[in-house]
Amino acid sequence: MRVSLFVTCLADQLWPAAAVGAVRVLRRMGCDVQFDERQTCCGQPAFNTGYRPEACALARRLIEIFESSGSDAIVSPSGSCTAMLHHYEQLFEDAGWRARARGLAERTHELSSFLVNRLGVEDVGARFAGRLTWHDACHGLRDLKIKDEPRRLLRHVRGAELVELPPPGAETCCGFGGTFSVKYPEISVAILDEKVDAIDRAGVDAVVSGDASCLMQIGGRLSRRGSAVRALHLAEVLAATT
Amino acid sequence: MSFDRDARTALADGQLRGALRHATTLFGERRRAAIADVPDWEDARDRARAIKDETLLHLDRYLEQFVANAEGAGARVHWARDAAQACDIIAGIAERRGARTVVKSKSMASEEIRLNAALAARGIAAVETDLGEYIVQLAGEEPSHIVVPAIHKTKGQIAALFAAKLGMEPSDDVTRLAAAARQALRRRFAEADLGVSGVNFAVAETGTILILENEGNARLTTSLPRTHVALMGIEKVIPRFADLEVFLRLLPRSGTGQALTAYQSLLTGTKRQPVDEGPEELHIVLLDNGRSRMLASPVTRQTLACIRCGACLNACPVYRQIGGHAYGSVYPGPIGAVLTPQLLGMGESAELPYASSLCGACRDVCPVKIDIPAVLLHLRAQTVARRASIGTRALLERLAFSAYAAVMARPRLFEWVMGCARAVHIVPPLGAWTKWRDLRPLAPRSFRDEWRAGLHETEGS
Amino acid sequence: MTDSDAARRDILRAIRENLKPRGIAPRSAEPVQSTADPGPAARGSPPGLRPGSVGPVERASPDAVTRFKAQLAAVGAQCTLACGEPDAARALARILTDAGARRVVGSDAPLVQRLLSTLGHDFVRESLDRLSRDDLFACEAGVTTAQWGIAETGTLVLESARERSRLLSLVPPIHVAVLSTRCICESLGDALDRVRQAASHAITFITGPSRTSDIELTLVVGVHGPQTVHVLLLEDV
Repeated sequence: MRVSLFVTCLADQLWPAAAVGAVRVLRRMGCDVQFDERQTCCGQPAFNTGYRPEACALARRLIEIFESSGSDAIVSPSGSCTAMLHHYEQLFEDAGWRARARGLAERTHELSSFLVNRLGVEDVGARFAGRLTWHDACHGLRDLKIKDEPRRLLRHVRGAELVELPPPGAETCCGFGGTFSVKYPEISVAILDEKVDAIDRAGVDAVVSGDASCLMQIGGRLSRRGSAVRALHLAEVLAATT
Repeated sequence: MSFDRDARTALADGQLRGALRHATTLFGERRRAAIADVPDWEDARDRARAIKDETLLHLDRYLEQFVANAEGAGARVHWARDAAQACDIIAGIAERRGARTVVKSKSMASEEIRLNAALAARGIAAVETDLGEYIVQLAGEEPSHIVVPAIHKTKGQIAALFAAKLGMEPSDDVTRLAAAARQALRRRFAEADLGVSGVNFAVAETGTILILENEGNARLTTSLPRTHVALMGIEKVIPRFADLEVFLRLLPRSGTGQALTAYQSLLTGTKRQPVDEGPEELHIVLLDNGRSRMLASPVTRQTLACIRCGACLNACPVYRQIGGHAYGSVYPGPIGAVLTPQLLGMGESAELPYASSLCGACRDVCPVKIDIPAVLLHLRAQTVARRASIGTRALLERLAFSAYAAVMARPRLFEWVMGCARAVHIVPPLGAWTKWRDLRPLAPRSFRDEWRAGLHETEGS
Repeated sequence: MTDSDAARRDILRAIRENLKPRGIAPRSAEPVQSTADPGPAARGSPPGLRPGSVGPVERASPDAVTRFKAQLAAVGAQCTLACGEPDAARALARILTDAGARRVVGSDAPLVQRLLSTLGHDFVRESLDRLSRDDLFACEAGVTTAQWGIAETGTLVLESARERSRLLSLVPPIHVAVLSTRCICESLGDALDRVRQAASHAITFITGPSRTSDIELTLVVGVHGPQTVHVLLLEDV
C-alpha cells in the first residue's frame, strides 16, 4: 500500500515526534510511505479565522500536490487537518475543483482511522509502560467520527493501561480552538483547567491525543501547573517499542 | 458591547462559575437521560429539521396561511418590521384597551425588542411572572440563560432581593421563596388587564399558537386578562397541526430533560361565546427585526430553525465558563453568538462569532441540527471580507495572515523562516499564550529535517 | 393602508427577495413536497383516527390504562380508580377531605355537577358563574373532567369547546380531573389528531402539577398553577 504522508505544518515544525512516529508505524504495517516536501499548511488557521481566499489558495495547492502523489491513500497524524481536507469541497464554487476536492477527501485518512478501518489492524506491535488517558480532539471526534479507533489501538499496546478521563470527560474541548486560544486566552485557559483537573484526578502518566494542537494546549498547561503528566501524540505511543 | 471585558468579569466571579458548572452539567445529564427513552431520536431531529427547512423556504406562504386562519378564528394580527414598531403596536393595544397593569409570561422576543422599557416610557408597568424572569426583573438585571434566567443568582441573593423588594423575612428555603413570589404575583394576575406572552410554535394550517411552560404563569397570563397579546418572531410558524408532535418530543427533552413540560396551551383565535372563559381579544404580533435577512443563504437560514431549547448553552464549553451576560444580548451561548450579530448587525457584535473554539458540541445536541460552527465560520468570513472589524488588532491580524499566506505558498521560504526561528530560539511574542501556558520549544530538527536525514529510507522498525 | 399593513407588505416582500436563489434553479411556485410526515389528516385516513389507535367508543387497552397510571405517578400526579358514578362520588369526597379542601368549585360538565351534588355539608360548593375573581382565587379545589388522557406521558387534555375547565384546572391549588378510561389514547400524536377535529379555541395539555427549578435548579412543586393534580379515573360499570 502506497501512502503519502500529510504531515501538517504543526507536527512538522512543533511536534515532529508525531510525524516520525506515524511514518514508523505505517512502515511496520507494511506501507510504503512517501513524503512530498512541497506541502506546507492545509489552510485551516486562515479558514477558521475567516480568511477564505487565503485558505482557498492553500487548498488548491495541497490538492494539486497530493493528486500528483500517485498513492493509494493520504494519511495524517491530525484529526483537525484531515477534517479540513474533508471540508475543501465547500470552499469552491467551481464544479471542477469541488470534484477534485471530493476525490482528495475520499483518499485522506487520519492515522488511527486508517490503521483500524482501512488496514484493519488494532495491534501495531507497540510497547509502552504506563497509565494513559485519551483526549478526543474535537474535529476528529465530531467531524470524522473518530472515537473507538484510538482506544482500540491503545488497548493493544503492551504495558499500557488505558483509563477514561473523569468528568467533564474525554470528549470535552481542551479550549484551543486555533486563534481562539490567543484571542480569548482567559476563556481558553478556564476551559483548559477543567480538562487538566480531570487529568490530575485520573492519576495517569500521560495524556494522549491525535492532534498536536490539543497536545500543545494541554501539555503547555500541565507543565505550567508543575504536573509530571506528559502529553503524547498517539503516533509516539504506537511507534514505541520499548 | 464588550464581550472581552464582560467575559473576564464573569471568569473572576467564582460563585457564578460554580453555578454555571452545576447547571450545565445537570441539564446535560437530564437531557441525555431523557433522550435515551426515545429510540428514534435521530429520526425525530431529521424530521423536525426538514419541517423547518420546508417552512423557511416558503415562509411567506406559511405566514399568510397562518394569518388567514388566525384571523378567521377571531385573532387580530399585526406585523412589525422592527423592535420599535412592535413596541409601538403593543403599547397602542394596551392604551386602546385601557390597560393599567400588564402581566408577562416568558418571551425572549419581548426582551429582544425591549418591550418593558417601551411600555414604561408610556406609563404602563409590565410585571414578569415567570419566576426566573421575575427575579431578574426585581434585580434590574438581564436573564443569563434561555431556560433558567436567574441561574446566576444564589438562593441567598434571591432571599436578600425578596427581603428588600417584597418585605419578606429572609429565608434560604427555596419553597418559601417560590411561595413568596407566587403570592406576590397572584394579586397581579387577578388584577391584570392585559397579558403578553411569547409563542413557541404557530401552526399555519389552523392559526393556532402553542405555548409551553412548567409554572402555569403563561396559562394565567393568557386566560385571565381581557386582552392577550402574543408576540412571535416570523420564524415560529410551522405548516401543520400534526407537526407539533415531533417538536413536542424534541423541545422539552432538549431544554430541561422532561418528556413534556407541565402545560401546553394551544390557542386558536378568541372564545366563541362571550360567556366562555378567556380573553375578549387576542392580538398576535409578528416580528421581523432582521429575521427575513437571514433567509438569504442556506448557511444563515438555518439560524431561524432554532426552537429556543437552550441545549446548546448547556453543551458549550465557553458558555459554561462565562454564562449569559457576557454575550451582551438576550440570546446567549452558541445560538446567541450567531443570532445576535445577524439581528443587530455585525458592527455591534463583531466579537461574538469569534467567541468559540468551534468544538461542535452545540451541533451535536441541537434538536433541529443547526450547524452552528458553520454559521460561525460564515460570519467570521463575512467580518474579514467586509472589514467589519476595525482597529489596530484587526489590521495586525490581516497583515499576519497575508504574511502567513505568502510563506505557506513557498515551501523553501517556509523552511527558511522556521529555520531562522529555530536558530535564534525566537518564538513569536505570544504573551497571550505564555501568560498561562508553557510554549513547547521548537524541536532541534523538524520532521522534514528528519526525513531528509535518513527517515526517507525504509528502515526495519 | 395602516402601519401594520405596510409592514406586512414590506416583510413579505423582504422574505421573497431574500429567498430568491442566487443563480440556481428558480424557486417553483408550488410548495415543495414535504419530507416530513404530513399526519393522518393530510394522508387521507379517517378524520381523528389513525389505524390501530383508540377511539372514544371502544374500550381503551388495559395496557394504555396501566401505562397512563404509571406515567401519572412519574410526573407527580395522584390517581384514584373508581368504578361507576356512586363509587366516583365517594372517591371524590375522600380525595377532597384528604387534601383538606373545603371550598370547592366545579365545572359545567354534567358529570362534575352530579358528583359535586353528592358532597355533604362539610364542603362549600361554589359555582363558576357566580364567582368573582377574588373568590375564585380563594377556592381550594377545582373539579373538572378531562376530555382525553395520554398514556405515553400521563397527560390530561382539556378542550374549551367541551367544558369550561380552563380556570378551574389552573387557579385553585388542587385540581381534581375526572377521566374515563375509555378516553385514554396512546400517544401525543393520537391526542393531537383528536383535538384538531374539535377545534376548540383553547386546548390545554396538563402533565402533573405546576413546577419550577428557577432557584438554584431546586425543584419546587406548585408555583402558579395547582400544586396537586388528582386524576379520578372512571371505569364504566
